[in-house]
Amino acid sequence: MDQSAAAADERAQAAFARYVLPEIEVLYRVALSITAQPADAEDLVQDTLLRAYRAVERFDGTHARAWLLTILRNTEINRHRRRRPDLLDDPDAQLERHEGRGPFSAPAPGPEELVVEQVFDKVVDEALAALPVKHRQVVQLVDIDGLTYAEAATLLEVPEGTVMSRLHRARKRIRDRLAAAGLAPTRSGR
Amino acid sequence: MSAMSDRARRMREMRECMHVGPKLQAYLDGEVDDATVERVAAHLEYCRKCGLELAAYRAIKHALGQRQQPADDALARLRSFGEQLAATGPEPPADA
Repeated sequence: MDQSAAAADERAQAAFARYVLPEIEVLYRVALSITAQPADAEDLVQDTLLRAYRAVERFDGTHARAWLLTILRNTEINRHRRRRPDLLDDPDAQLERHEGRGPFSAPAPGPEELVVEQVFDKVVDEALAALPVKHRQVVQLVDIDGLTYAEAATLLEVPEGTVMSRLHRARKRIRDRLAAAGLAPTRSGR
Repeated sequence: MSAMSDRARRMREMRECMHVGPKLQAYLDGEVDDATVERVAAHLEYCRKCGLELAAYRAIKHALGQRQQPADDALARLRSFGEQLAATGPEPPADA
């Protein structure tokens, strides 16, 4: 290997260590949120890290997480281009259909000996699982994975306002389900 | 205080509820500007309804935040993969 190639490798390795290594956990959390299986998430992050390594010399050093989320998103689309254009769908019609079915029936109450917090968590889990996939994704990205609205918007390639409206509507559904179970105050027109 | 000014105060508070209510979730997420933070915080000092609403969303966010811990072994493998890239770059193909 000649000296200039060796120097380029050293620069790439240093930039990779500086910008990419600190984000691996976030990338894996996000990958878990947008893939069906944990093994898929691990493969996706591994492919993302390889692509990031190859691109890191051209990276300008600003907003590393947003840059990596874009790579992760493109990697995921390439992996599933033929069978799952899912990330790009508009989910709002789907949510309307959900809402058209009327209020959720109250889930069966947990055994009395369960503490309220456990019942609360269970209802939240059920409500999350009942959300349309796009709304659930935004909740996972912001509340579970810790992304900002802007970072989630970068990942999903939608405007920040779309992230906000999906997230807020999704949380309202969760909140309504809690209210139906007697675990949150009933909402008055909000 | 006269009945008139009492009614005017209640009207003001209701208008403030209508303004603040839709911003409670973004406020909780730290996604509003400083002026909105101050306005929401001032409203929450006296409005029990919005306070309960915020508490419900805070409890939901808290429950969700504790929901998913990535599998330690998968994360350890990915970190090790990343550290190897940072140390030596990608492995060359087997026939290189």
